[in-house]
Amino acid sequence: MIQVNHLQKEFRIHQARSGLGGAFRDLFSREYKTVKAVDDLSFTVEEGEMFALIGENGAGKSTTIKMLTGILTPSDGDIMINGYVPFKQREEYVRSIGVVFGQRSQLWWDLSPLESFRLLKSVYKVDEAEGEKWLNRLIEELEITPFVSQPVRKLSLGQRMRCEVAASLIHKPRLLFLDEPTVGLDVLVKQKIREFLRNLNETENMTILLTTHDVSDIEALCKRVLVMDKGKLIFDGLLNDLKEKWGNGTEVSFQMKKRTSADDLRHALGDMPCEIEQVNEYALRVKVARSQEMLPFVLSTVMSTFEVSDVKILETSTEDIVRNIYSTDSEVVSHA
Amino acid sequence: MQNIKHIIGIFADYLGQYFKTRLAYRADFLGDLVSNLISELINLVFIIVVFTHVPMMKEWTRDEIIFIYGFFLVPYALFSMFFGFWDFNERYIIRGEMDRILTRPIHNLAQVCLESIAPDRIFGVITGLIIMGYAAFQLELSFYWYDPLIFIGLVISGALIYGGVYTAIAAVSFFSDSRTGITPMIYNIQQYGRYPVDVYNKVIRFVLTYVLPFAFVGVYPAAYFLRKEVWYTYAALTPLMAVIFFGVGLLVWNWGVTKYRGAGS
Repeated sequence: MIQVNHLQKEFRIHQARSGLGGAFRDLFSREYKTVKAVDDLSFTVEEGEMFALIGENGAGKSTTIKMLTGILTPSDGDIMINGYVPFKQREEYVRSIGVVFGQRSQLWWDLSPLESFRLLKSVYKVDEAEGEKWLNRLIEELEITPFVSQPVRKLSLGQRMRCEVAASLIHKPRLLFLDEPTVGLDVLVKQKIREFLRNLNETENMTILLTTHDVSDIEALCKRVLVMDKGKLIFDGLLNDLKEKWGNGTEVSFQMKKRTSADDLRHALGDMPCEIEQVNEYALRVKVARSQEMLPFVLSTVMSTFEVSDVKILETSTEDIVRNIYSTDSEVVSHA
Repeated sequence: MQNIKHIIGIFADYLGQYFKTRLAYRADFLGDLVSNLISELINLVFIIVVFTHVPMMKEWTRDEIIFIYGFFLVPYALFSMFFGFWDFNERYIIRGEMDRILTRPIHNLAQVCLESIAPDRIFGVITGLIIMGYAAFQLELSFYWYDPLIFIGLVISGALIYGGVYTAIAAVSFFSDSRTGITPMIYNIQQYGRYPVDVYNKVIRFVLTYVLPFAFVGVYPAAYFLRKEVWYTYAALTPLMAVIFFGVGLLVWNWGVTKYRGAGS
């Protein structure tokens, strides 16, 4: 469904000289630096797949999504999606995709979502009867009925975001792009959106691509993960593989009621393979490689041996994983 | 053609929707209506006061000048209603709103126009008509049955000339990522179209006719209704200029879109 071959995007960036004198010289001769935002990216996606594109800020995710959605023209390489070349046949192509940008609104600020949907329906020339049925299903599943007739500017972020998702699906696209869809949302809304997306993928066999910084998004939704760094694809494979290979393990931080040293803790845990770090006289951190089986053991042992006032479990974040992958400098693992 | 019909349909839908929402807030709507009318009225008084101090400009009488001014207001109001994207560079390029526009299957310029449409500006048309009516009455102008049709044609052409020039200028934002716009400059020049061109020197007259043909928005078409036969050729050229300038504006725009680089996010 999606085929990307040796995709590249270069930006020419004007290098401003410093100071007023520099600015004056810039008027006459400018220096440019070429930056490769996306460097030799290749992958294929089958219909009905749900996958995440992750990477640090500036890794080239957004640029990639923008090329996939036809917004930007690639410098080199080919993209073929749904049988279209996105940037060439833009107006035909965008009929078959839906796009949600977490940071931008699709809806008209002064209109109610329902009216925006109606306008979007005429933009996409959606068939009236069928479109109505589909829209009702979207409204119901995203639970936006209570506020669907209020002006968008009066909605909370969570309410608006659900309306955004509905708006991007109004024409029943075969492919949905979500660029950081859950930024700034509370847990309940995140969950609702995730459930909805999963359901959509199962019932409609819709292909869904998302970029995110939220590892729980990926865990809830995607089996396959693509990791980008500095414009290059550095991992393409299953989420489990990713975690096992580059995860930092899990950290538990304990706040004790009495003074406890790292040795006391080591003694209690026996020869359990873990790292213990003394934060201060009352606080300690334990790091285990995998959370399965080891974490419950650590927790129960420490809790029963010492008097504990507080416990925190810190999971590896996507950023950590990405950083780990980059620092280990491994070769690309391909998707089987 | 199919596309244009689709675009017009969506504009109609959107405007319908807009007025529906406005009417929903009754007090707000009435307040706006009154304040718009008052501001147009103040404009009107101001214009009349200014022109009472100007008895003649070259061969133009005061009432003729008022007529031209009134005529100019009509296409100008239409233009500012549909091409209200003064903040195009800021809103669509720097903040990257263009991304969203490009993911929808309608021509992107139409969408930008639609999103920044300012239906309030329609009051300018009313003011213009009142001023023209006043001047026409003073001048005892007579009209033929087909004059309203010609009027509509010339007004639309005038609005398109402005639109074309404005579109081309807005498209510059696609190429440069600097914040400075040329908008203020154009804003100043557009004012010149309101007055008879032969009061200006040759260079300005040439510019207003062929380079930034704002004279086609005010003086030339208005001259037709004032029965100034010297200017008939120019009046007749107005629709042609509209097609050329709007076409060029659209071309520059389309070319600009391929150079769009997006904003980081």
